[in-house]
Amino acid sequence: MITEEQLIRKGTPKGRRLDLLTRALLSGITYSIVVVALLLFGKIVVDGAPTLFTTKAPFINISFLTDKNETLHVFDDSSGKLHQLPASKYNEYLTTHGEDAIYNHQSFSYSGGGIVGPIVGTVLLTIGAILIALFFGVSAAIYLSEYSKQSPFIHAVRLAILNLAGVPSIVFGLFGFSVFVLAVPVITLDPSSRTLLSFPIFIGDYFVSFQGWNSSLMAGCATLACMILPVIITASEESLKAVPQGFRDASLAMGATRWQTIRKCVLPYALPGILTSSLLAITRVAGETAPIMFTAAVAAKDDLPWEGLSNPFDILSSQVQALPYHIYTLAARIPNSEFTQRAQYGSVFVFLLLVAFMSFGSMILRAKLRSRLKW
Amino acid sequence: MQTAIQIENLSFCYGDKQVLFDVSMEIPAHQITALIGPSGCGKSTLLRCINRINDRIAGAHISGGSLKIHHIDVMRPDIDLLKLRRQIGMVFQKYNPFPKSIFENVAYGLRIAGMKDKTQLQDTVEKALTNAALWDEVKDRLHASAFGLSGGQQQRLCIARAIANEPEILLMDEPCAALDPLATLKIEELLHSLKSQYTIVIVTHNMAQASRCSDQTAFMYLGNLIEFDKTTKIFSNPSEKKTEQYITGSFG
Amino acid sequence: MSEHLSTPKNPDAFRRRGFSGERLIRYFFASNAGLTILIFVLIIAFLLKEGLGFFPSYKRELEIYRITGMEYVDISRNNLTSHEQLVSVLNRAYYAEINGQADRELQRTKESAAIYTAMDEFGAALRDQYFTAIDSNSQELAVAESIKQKYSTLMPLSVKNLPASPNLTREERQAIIDTMLTRSIEIEDTPDLVAVMASEYATARQKFAAPLTANRALIDEFDASAGELSKRVSEMTKKVILTKDALAKADIIERDRKTLLAAAASAKTLEERDRLTKDAEAAIAEVPDVAAPMAELMHARSECASIHQELAAKVQELSAKLAFSYQQPEAKKLSSVATRALPIYLSELQQAPQLLEKWDSHLPVNLSAAIRSFLTGKNWITGGEWQDFYGILPLLIGSLMIAVVALIIGIPAGVGAAIYTNQFASAREQKIIKPVIEFIQAIPSVVLGFIGIFVLGNALRELSTVEALSWFPGFPMEERLNIFTAGCLLALMSIPTIFSLSEDAINNVPSAYSEASEALGASKLQTTFKVVIPAAFSGILAAILLGFGRVIGETMVVLLVAGNRIKIPDFSSGIGAFFQPAHTMTGIIAQELGEVPIGSVHYRALFVVGIFLFTIVLCVNAIAHRYSNKMKH
Repeated sequence: MITEEQLIRKGTPKGRRLDLLTRALLSGITYSIVVVALLLFGKIVVDGAPTLFTTKAPFINISFLTDKNETLHVFDDSSGKLHQLPASKYNEYLTTHGEDAIYNHQSFSYSGGGIVGPIVGTVLLTIGAILIALFFGVSAAIYLSEYSKQSPFIHAVRLAILNLAGVPSIVFGLFGFSVFVLAVPVITLDPSSRTLLSFPIFIGDYFVSFQGWNSSLMAGCATLACMILPVIITASEESLKAVPQGFRDASLAMGATRWQTIRKCVLPYALPGILTSSLLAITRVAGETAPIMFTAAVAAKDDLPWEGLSNPFDILSSQVQALPYHIYTLAARIPNSEFTQRAQYGSVFVFLLLVAFMSFGSMILRAKLRSRLKW
Repeated sequence: MQTAIQIENLSFCYGDKQVLFDVSMEIPAHQITALIGPSGCGKSTLLRCINRINDRIAGAHISGGSLKIHHIDVMRPDIDLLKLRRQIGMVFQKYNPFPKSIFENVAYGLRIAGMKDKTQLQDTVEKALTNAALWDEVKDRLHASAFGLSGGQQQRLCIARAIANEPEILLMDEPCAALDPLATLKIEELLHSLKSQYTIVIVTHNMAQASRCSDQTAFMYLGNLIEFDKTTKIFSNPSEKKTEQYITGSFG
Repeated sequence: MSEHLSTPKNPDAFRRRGFSGERLIRYFFASNAGLTILIFVLIIAFLLKEGLGFFPSYKRELEIYRITGMEYVDISRNNLTSHEQLVSVLNRAYYAEINGQADRELQRTKESAAIYTAMDEFGAALRDQYFTAIDSNSQELAVAESIKQKYSTLMPLSVKNLPASPNLTREERQAIIDTMLTRSIEIEDTPDLVAVMASEYATARQKFAAPLTANRALIDEFDASAGELSKRVSEMTKKVILTKDALAKADIIERDRKTLLAAAASAKTLEERDRLTKDAEAAIAEVPDVAAPMAELMHARSECASIHQELAAKVQELSAKLAFSYQQPEAKKLSSVATRALPIYLSELQQAPQLLEKWDSHLPVNLSAAIRSFLTGKNWITGGEWQDFYGILPLLIGSLMIAVVALIIGIPAGVGAAIYTNQFASAREQKIIKPVIEFIQAIPSVVLGFIGIFVLGNALRELSTVEALSWFPGFPMEERLNIFTAGCLLALMSIPTIFSLSEDAINNVPSAYSEASEALGASKLQTTFKVVIPAAFSGILAAILLGFGRVIGETMVVLLVAGNRIKIPDFSSGIGAFFQPAHTMTGIIAQELGEVPIGSVHYRALFVVGIFLFTIVLCVNAIAHRYSNKMKH
């Protein structure tokens, strides 16, 4: 028989304090992560925003985004005024005022001018890698979701995808270096001495030579594409699987072929999902440093990739600057001083802004997509 | 006859949507009361109000009336909800043993209530399993995973888990819906043997089951209690036309 | 009509014929799926292709190391190095004691000199111009005069950025500045006041050194005791280096000859082949003589052993006296380091004669020795004139220690946040927490490394110098960039992985479990910890393992923040070892691959490190996936 004493509590129950304590601890942990993340972001914003934004219209320091990267020269003039000039302007100053007008001269590599080179390089690398990865990744996903049945081949493919997803980026760097930089075949008049294998193809004097693409935009894109492939495949397969089975059944029942069914009844509905998740892959490609260190990136380059080329395709075989590698250079190779901060925090800020923009974009798109595509 | 649960003008909402309208009934102690009615009529909701397990759902709340257990309002702010639930066992539609051993499943309620003594635990578990007519089948594999049992056995394990706390009231939410006829039969036999010790409220879709097992039957429709009476009366001579239509299979 | 429907006119109407486009499309997609397998196989193949050549080459290097007698010399060399290090520590302790006591004078000298130097450098360029003008045969006296003028107008500007001087009085500071401002451009000497302070400091040092003369003498005696050994080692070193260079040269000639022969074999014209073969024949290397120098070395073996014995006796005699008691904390610390190291050094010295006797240049070096030397080697020394060593231990230990720090922080944080978010947080809170943690995942690692260098490293070091925390082992940190700093950042990287996978695992626990638990009268807390988390346990374990895989494979953060010192941390200070710099497997690849000649032993060694890393990560991931499959009941 239930009595009042049994059910009505008097005072605070025993477990209550433990309960509150645990909740407080867990929420403390959680919110300290959130706070640390926001603090880090805040620090970069506070120190980096002054480089990119100005108080005067148009409020954005466009020259930081559009100028080439140069060495920064810092000096006093004869009246004691401090000057900070990038190398090109410094040389102008030098020719007009002469060496006598310069006191306390210091120079800081990579710290002057803007960062257009790294930005352009990163954009090219990212676009190239994503296009390659999307083409092969979506095709592979179509096979996995539309054609595959249980078979040893499919099992091997899934195992390969699973394992590829976990390979550290530096190992992709080694892979890209030994395969794309040193070993993939090229067609050339003059095989290099380190070629693995070369044979003439009897068209002109050309040879096929397995000597690699050298450190180049091409090699970098290919390496990054390999790295991102498992992500694209998994995401695309999920989007394809989300298309209701009924669509396919209905189409097949009307006598359409598999390919017609895929093209007309599956791909159009899966495409938004595929593109959204590939946006997330873009952030990863744009942010990686280790795979491009040996395959594509250079620390300093005077020309933009397309400048000074006789043949537009040469852009593919030229090295590029890249934002993450640029930041690595700024962090590792030059000291932190009041004169270099502008370049250091500014580059990081621009980079972070880019990444944040893309990742929030993909989050919002994904949320929208989920609410819109309900079958 | 003693009243175990008094429900007076109970209304219940999920957010803005009202699902129970002014339900009033008195459920007698040590009897089996069946709640029947078509899907979505609120019978499960009513059942889940009794041990306030509906609190788990955000926005669900009692919007009027009262529900008293032995004259204690379950909505009283100073009520110890955990103790209340220990006094009211519940068995769910889909058998849901924990991913633990058979023994640990039954001992779970005892342990969280603070029982530590090993022999006492063992005795209570044995008693609960015996009462649930499961002891003979599992006594040799008490420490094996509960998932190794058949569906009917798993459901009886859940009943054993519920009665290990020695509750006053046992709530059953369509306990046989996921079981085959033989296992159902076993559970029904079990209900009869448990009746002397517990006040049982059972939600069922199966009218034959209601007529076979219960002493009292309540028929609900669209959140309203249409008729509540002795089972024999409901199934032989219902007062309401709706009830008659339902039990003869004209709708639902 | 009905007959017509039931049997088609043409019985072949539904049969597919020949090679259809459909099938072609299917093969196209299948080949794209197969690409993943190809990439995976290529990764393994090329890692092995570049890496496996390492062991034979390294074996050859070790062979040279042995047959030239470098290994033999290293027994004595290592002891000499230990001796020199000990002397240096003893000296540092000695000077730390004196400088600690004369700290005020030291600071005053430093500050006054800093002010002087800053102002002097400001005018240095002008002074140089002035002297040039004067020297050029009095042609440009007018120019010199104008420079002089400029100098006097400019000098006041130099006062702008002078360093602080907390230990100087305002008058003293002003006096130095005034001297510098008023003096003529020709004068280059140190101002009197600065010189006075320097001499004050010298006096103070002398004063505080006086009671320590006995220590000084002992240290000098200890230092001098290794004179004989030092002489012997440098003699031997000169000899073996000659042999080694000769051998290395012969190896190169031999390799070139092989290349020439290979080229000759594939030459297009007969003429070319003849020429190449002739070149190859001409290039046969003279086999260098290793026996004679070796005999010389072995001849002096007993002499060398007796030098060690004498030194050991001397060190034993001195070691008790060398345990100085100092007052200054820095001196105390250094002295205790020396006291701890002395007995180890002594026992090494005592064993040396035996080692020297036992050593045999004819013992063969086999492949397993090269593998063993790689796997258990405590040294990764490259690019030196002496012998290169490729031992993975310092890198592996560095990687593991950083991962340990990261996981000690990352597991409670990631799992805790997952539990809170899934079980306790309101829907509104979830909407804040999840995107923020997802955003952490999107932060590129190089940015985190940047933050580590410019923000976290300094902050942590400053924290470690707080007096109240000095009891903590390893505090204050010697280096800004160390294992702990890198671990903290990697924890931040591992949190999103651990968080989102754990959260998934918890979310996948059927709600029927928690419903049943609550119906039995369990509180939310009991339900969470007794039912939900045990049910999600294997999933959480998988999350942690995948987090570990991510941490151990991470490159940029450790490259920037770990401090890059290739040395096994000194565990004698316990937890303090975590505050030392280290190098990692990923970091070494990133740092050195760009700088080594392709195909060299060093280059191949980096690929072997890559294979090692790849294997570790693959195993960890395989175990993780086994656990996460267990989750799917």
